[in-house]
Amino acid sequence: MSQSSLKNRSLLQPMDRARVVEIMGSRFGIPPEAFEGVSFSLRGRNVWAFSLPEIPDLAWETVGLRVISVRGRVPKPTTAALQLFGRHATKNVVDLGTEDALKFAAGERQRISAPVEDGYVVVSHGGDVLGCGQYLDGELISLLPKERRIGRAEPEEGRSGRGDL
Amino acid sequence: MVIRARPEVLIPGGFDDGGVPFEEMISRPFKRLGIYLIKANCSGMKGLDRYRDVIPDFDLFVEAIRRPLPVTARINTLKTDRDRLLSRLRGAKVAFTPFIWYPFGLRLTVEKPGNLLESLMGQIHIQEEISMVSPVVLGPKPGERILDLCAAPGSKTTQIAMMMENWGLLVANDPANTRVASLRSNCERAGAVNVVVTRYDGRRFPDRGFDRVLVDAPCTGQGMARKDLKVLDRWSLKRSLGLQRLQRALLRRALQVTRPGGAVVYSTCTFAPEENEGVVSWALGQVRGVRLEDASVRGLAGSPGLAEWEGSRFGDEVERCTRYYPHQNDAGGFFVAKLIKE
Ligand SMILES: C[S@@+](CC[C@H](N)C(=O)[O-])C[C@H]1O[C@@H](n2cnc3c(N)ncnc32)[C@H](O)[C@@H]1O
Repeated sequence: MSQSSLKNRSLLQPMDRARVVEIMGSRFGIPPEAFEGVSFSLRGRNVWAFSLPEIPDLAWETVGLRVISVRGRVPKPTTAALQLFGRHATKNVVDLGTEDALKFAAGERQRISAPVEDGYVVVSHGGDVLGCGQYLDGELISLLPKERRIGRAEPEEGRSGRGDL
Repeated sequence: MVIRARPEVLIPGGFDDGGVPFEEMISRPFKRLGIYLIKANCSGMKGLDRYRDVIPDFDLFVEAIRRPLPVTARINTLKTDRDRLLSRLRGAKVAFTPFIWYPFGLRLTVEKPGNLLESLMGQIHIQEEISMVSPVVLGPKPGERILDLCAAPGSKTTQIAMMMENWGLLVANDPANTRVASLRSNCERAGAVNVVVTRYDGRRFPDRGFDRVLVDAPCTGQGMARKDLKVLDRWSLKRSLGLQRLQRALLRRALQVTRPGGAVVYSTCTFAPEENEGVVSWALGQVRGVRLEDASVRGLAGSPGLAEWEGSRFGDEVERCTRYYPHQNDAGGFFVAKLIKE
């Protein structure tokens, strides 16, 4: 028991909050105040956010919310993180109409012209955040985790084979 | 403080019903459908007949069990606020009726609520109405140390996180591997940042000093029959008694890890007194300095706990527990006890 909790703790490295605030600020213009009371730590290649008075001495599975993946060249915010903090974003936000929001929710790609830079974007509908997308050459790619997608579960008519989303 | 009423059924106030008696109000929809109540027929409803003498309006109870549950959801204030969400639903032409007893609960007129964009965004969480009761009775506050001992899949965990305004320590524990996956995904969807997920056997949970502990125990689930009538076939007295051992040990451990002055809420979704009053009254005798507090909720109809059952005397004190029957609120069935550690 205490052994595995020791193991846990070594897996969790404190993370410089300025670095996280910088990542979210430079790409999305989210102000530092949005992260008030939140601490960050690095576990493997993911940044986790938590707002706890202490990390209890327990053999835990997870502590807080996974907010950024630092696996790739560019840090990728999770949908969960953008749903929580993305409402404070001031740039690289794509707000979709209902029709397009449903496509995004289903995991589909779509051509869209939006005043954003290529890369990760906050995707919203009516000002409320749907999740993380990627904008590339005029196309918006849905990065919603598979298990979070909704709708279009059945294969579309005229399409051969099974639904591949 | 809620003043404890004594009648068998606590009639909720605030219905806009023009003073129609509760019973009649409940049976109205049937009459409109041309269905007239006949003497309760429990065929295919194994294990319910034993409650004939303790459940008020037993015929209505049996009738309610046969009907599917209304679709309900909880507004997640970690992601949105109530007005904003309600205006979104109006915009999406989703009809809703807020609960009379809880401002964050809604009945929805929609077939697949999980397919709403508001679900995807985590602004609403699909949750059975009566299951929202235990966190409300627990009453967690921001900054406190809370333990949810049997947490998966996390409907109540995420409700507690929202009541804590995402601040303080919330340990969500459940030993079941596959269920912990949905617990984690629900916490993610809710945007909870103050949750620590653990996988202990709750009977041996190691940490101590919690302000409040929720024991939403594994049970025979009779109160969920409206979701799936098959739960009734699986019921047997032997199963209730087997679970009772586990439930007792879980509740005892919960009381042990609570700080003096703290509170434990014990809830189940079954009607079996063996798993309810039979667990609570035993725990009162096991841990010193524990008393029961009223577990009723203003605006929800419920019945007091049973002081005795089939020859076992649980004591008058357990009448402070609350039993919620499906026909009383057109919801699921539930049992809630609130224990205070002196
Ligand atoms: C009624 S469910 C909990 C529902 C949950 N509170 C919610 O609101 O979503 C009971 C849970 O108890 C868990 N359980 C079973 N044995 C347990 C034990 N020994 N210690 C702790 N939890 C246990 C089960 O895995 C199950 O997830």
